[in-house]
Amino acid sequence: MSQTTSERRPTPTRRNTGPVGKAADWADERYTGSGLTRRALNKVFPDNWSFMMGEIALYSFVILLLTGVYLSFFYDPSMTEVRYNGSYELLRGVEMSRAYDSTLDISFDVRGGLLMRQIHHWAALLFVAAMTVHMLRVFFTGAFRKPRELTWLLGVTLLTLGIVEGFAGYSLPDDLLSGTGLRIAHAIMLSIPVVGTWVAYAIFGAEFPGTDIIPRLYIAHVLLIPGLILAIITVHVGLVVKQKHTQFPGPGRQENNVVGERMYPSYGAKGGGFFFLVFGVMAALGGLVQINPIWLYGPYNPAHVSAGSQPDWYIGFLDGSTRLFPAWEIRLWDYTISPLVWPCVVLPGIMFTLLALYPFIEARLTKDRALHNLLQRPRDVPVRTSLGAMALTFYTVLLISGGNDIIAAKFDISLNAMTWAGRIGLIALPPIAYVLTYTICLGLQRHDRQILEHGVETGIIKRLPSGEFIEVHQPLGPVDDHGHSALEYAGAAVPKRMNRLTHPGRKAKGFLWKVQDPDEVQDRSGTEAALEAGLETNERRELAGRPKDPEL
Amino acid sequence: MSDVDGRHLHAGTPVPDVDLETYRTLSLEDQAHEASKIDGVTITHRRDRFPVPGTKAEKRAERVVALCFVAAFVGALAFTVCYVVLPWRYDISSDSYAWFTPVLGLTMAISLFGFGLGAILWAKLLITEEESVQERHGGYSEQEDRETTAAIVSDGWDMTGIARRPLLQRVLGLSVLALGALAIVPLGGLIKKPKGELFRTGWAEGTRLMTGDRRLVRPGDIEAGGIETVFPATEEGLSMQVRADSVVLLIRLRPGQTVTPRPDQEDYGWQDYVAFSKICTHAGCPASLYEQQTGRLLCPCHQSQFDLLQDAKPVFGPAARPLPKLAITVDDEGYFVARRDFNEAIGPSFWERP
Amino acid sequence: MTDRPSTTKGRRPRTRLRRRVSGAIALALALGTVGVAYATVAAAATPKAQVASNAPSEDPVEIRKGRQLFEQGCITCHGRNLQGVQDRGPSLIGVGEAAVYFQVATGRMPVARQEAQVERKEPYYDEAETLQIAAYVQSVGGGAEIPTGNLRGSDENLAEGGELFRLNCASCHNFAGRGGALSAGKYAPPMDQANDLTIWTAMLTGPQNMPVFGDNQLTEEQKQAITNYVQTLKEQGDPGGAPIGRMGPVPEGLVAWVVGIGAIMLMILWIGAKS
Repeated sequence: MSQTTSERRPTPTRRNTGPVGKAADWADERYTGSGLTRRALNKVFPDNWSFMMGEIALYSFVILLLTGVYLSFFYDPSMTEVRYNGSYELLRGVEMSRAYDSTLDISFDVRGGLLMRQIHHWAALLFVAAMTVHMLRVFFTGAFRKPRELTWLLGVTLLTLGIVEGFAGYSLPDDLLSGTGLRIAHAIMLSIPVVGTWVAYAIFGAEFPGTDIIPRLYIAHVLLIPGLILAIITVHVGLVVKQKHTQFPGPGRQENNVVGERMYPSYGAKGGGFFFLVFGVMAALGGLVQINPIWLYGPYNPAHVSAGSQPDWYIGFLDGSTRLFPAWEIRLWDYTISPLVWPCVVLPGIMFTLLALYPFIEARLTKDRALHNLLQRPRDVPVRTSLGAMALTFYTVLLISGGNDIIAAKFDISLNAMTWAGRIGLIALPPIAYVLTYTICLGLQRHDRQILEHGVETGIIKRLPSGEFIEVHQPLGPVDDHGHSALEYAGAAVPKRMNRLTHPGRKAKGFLWKVQDPDEVQDRSGTEAALEAGLETNERRELAGRPKDPEL
Repeated sequence: MSDVDGRHLHAGTPVPDVDLETYRTLSLEDQAHEASKIDGVTITHRRDRFPVPGTKAEKRAERVVALCFVAAFVGALAFTVCYVVLPWRYDISSDSYAWFTPVLGLTMAISLFGFGLGAILWAKLLITEEESVQERHGGYSEQEDRETTAAIVSDGWDMTGIARRPLLQRVLGLSVLALGALAIVPLGGLIKKPKGELFRTGWAEGTRLMTGDRRLVRPGDIEAGGIETVFPATEEGLSMQVRADSVVLLIRLRPGQTVTPRPDQEDYGWQDYVAFSKICTHAGCPASLYEQQTGRLLCPCHQSQFDLLQDAKPVFGPAARPLPKLAITVDDEGYFVARRDFNEAIGPSFWERP
Repeated sequence: MTDRPSTTKGRRPRTRLRRRVSGAIALALALGTVGVAYATVAAAATPKAQVASNAPSEDPVEIRKGRQLFEQGCITCHGRNLQGVQDRGPSLIGVGEAAVYFQVATGRMPVARQEAQVERKEPYYDEAETLQIAAYVQSVGGGAEIPTGNLRGSDENLAEGGELFRLNCASCHNFAGRGGALSAGKYAPPMDQANDLTIWTAMLTGPQNMPVFGDNQLTEEQKQAITNYVQTLKEQGDPGGAPIGRMGPVPEGLVAWVVGIGAIMLMILWIGAKS
């Protein structure tokens, strides 16, 4: 099969027929793409549902680009004051910026414009949410470990850029809600010690609000940040392709292979179809659920404000930290350090730095320098899982506190009580989450080992001649005289019910119809095979979440 | 790793041992197997979902997939029709326009769901089931690649002679730094010197208080327990800047309520009227949720609470400073006027603020 | 689709295809027609401005009836001569009939128990009784009167009403009148159930912690504009679909996570499930 290279190749034989074949010949004679194409089509993707979360983010971004280009045909990023004269009667004659005016036009005077605006906004919320979910999956399964630290760093950068990009977009309509958000952003810039006022003047171009901020945010929102995001996504995904996807341990799955489906035709059809499903969800939300009704908010006016002024959810944690932080203002002779700087600059700085550095911190603490292509089950790495649960709890308390006034109003709770609950919860709940998660992880581990040793509970109760009652266990492997098997845990899911015995880790079950057929069951390797897969002791140690034994 | 065409640079790829002539005689499936091997892929499991063609089950599966694509077609068509036909312009006297966007979204979603489901169901129900294993090679290059590359790099470095020429080292480093500055320095166009506007507002001695709809305010205008948002009265319209930094909340207390003033500010109020900056000292939102019985003022952004009866002292939440108080009085013609600008910067704290 | 009929097989599959296409077109047209039909029907239901005609009477008989009601239901907290009772209820002298109307018509009075804030309930008295009590309180202490006539003005004032609403009302009641939290358990109630008259009387009298907006501050025309804006906002449809509370980004974020991410998670579970 391998071709020999020579100074001058003979003209290839054209064997392809039909239009596709002819096009392929045409392209290959110019760009030599056959090998590359075959490699791409042959690429194997591991199929686990949790590996599709990154795709949600990617697809959301594509939808954002598509709808965003549409919106840019109509939006005018100008802070020139105009008098509204469009269709929406409740604002006719009101003074507003051209930016708000043109956003109203998109909503009321462009046919289908509101749908595009709403899809764009929902896609933005889901873009950041999908990145978050994807990141959690990567974190809890240890997919960030060597050799994928850079991919993780790029991912954290994407998350940060996504948040900034979202905030810029949220600000563009120049409505009352987003203007209030900009005012707070301005206050946060002012709060930076020493250079704060200079930063605020550099970005706003004048005293708040000035007339520069919307055009500047616009160019950042449509060119600068999406360009960066696109470039980083390319590298991020490119690295995944180069290094190949991680996979969960299981029958036949090892550090040096990938088990799954080839790109073409199966996986491509699923992944491509999934894009349309994600787009469908955005379209359904964009059409059926109203988002950011700027005509209700009114134009921005620094003297106006609405109860329950909130940012979009991904900024919510910052709003929450700002609400919870005590009023600590530091006076240094003639200078002031604003209380805003701690919850809005220092805290997110620490949070994102820790997030970015986590792979390196963990590697240093565990002294783990091995390459890892097999994932870990969260239970097998209780310290990391508990740290993650702790961080997540901290974040969730902040996020909930970002909407504590809405919760107070709707559930009839005192606002002050909500604030205090948030303050106490922020400190008390994360350690509790750590201990709880740790205990649960150990319990699950113990249960796994127990089943490997004694077998699966069958629910059959037997009475022994001695009169004693016992439950019959179905062992998972060869047993000794006491009915104990010597199977060692290999990092893969252990079947815990009889009906999962033949399919370690995954149930064969149709979504709408039952499709499992008995032949297939015969086909597949059972748990025994999984556990007899011949893993070296060292590999076992790795799979169990421990570093390699240097002795071996 | 003598393979120069770049395809098999990694070790261990099983190269099919058939030549091209033999390869052409294989069945398509076997050809695919062989072709996959080149890329380190072994198809370990491959099963036609319907070994016997034309069964009822196969037809059913095919129909399901077809139905999805029909839905995609119908949805897109309905979208187009509705886009053209449905009334869409806002009309205050009817709600008909309110159906336009939901119907568009729904038809669009039906179409997209149909297409996506069709593709996925095709893969799940019809496409031959497979499981493949692809080899993955170690995280590092072959030892000889590592060493030869290192040699090339070091040799080239030696060829430049830079290690032996400290003068060039320094000059080069310096010029690279300077070139970096070239990229950053022009951003200086963004920098503006704060000119003390943060300490000034539109208020001055004798400036009258004016409402948002440009009416001057007299003592009788507000009932006890009432509030009014006021701006400095000017001939020209209110600029955004003035609205942003000079906006003031004029409050008339209820009978029996008294304000304990700050030192040196005993005369800032006028009878039962007090005036405070509406801009929260925390993050700059208009703090304007006034509770007339308790005298509390709440900011809706971060829930700072100010007790007006203690001269707008922050009593709850993240705000650290009281709201700046505007000194007011009534002029000869009976209108409220400011006695001077605020005696401190309004709004959120910043470094230079004493 | 696997065994696609060759072109020579001719007409039968084509007609089937045509039938399917025409069916699809018919369905799309039907959808469109339903939409249009609904639109026409919906257009017929135009919101009408409410005109207050039920001013309390100065008829002594009505006042006497009002007094009787007062002495049965209100006297324990507000005192025999409306002077109020220490720690129970405030004096009603000078609050005026507008205040009585607001408090009683929204069910806030008579109050069941003392809390941080008195809640809206099913009214205890009917409209006529409410007006009788109002007439009695007015006859004793005077004060703000219940407005009469056109409470909304004409639709010319909607935009002005919106500006005034955002300046004076939205800070507590939210941009769409959906209410909000105040300090320590108090709240600005949602205006969902408020009718024109309760909006007016609330502005005039400043019930509980709401500031008073007297006629010298917000003129009658301005109150008409605000009322018209609030009520029009409540009545008009949401062009973008389900309004999810008209409360801004918090419910939106919740929907994004629960509905959006939730639905997509179900999808990937399904796609990832072995078939």
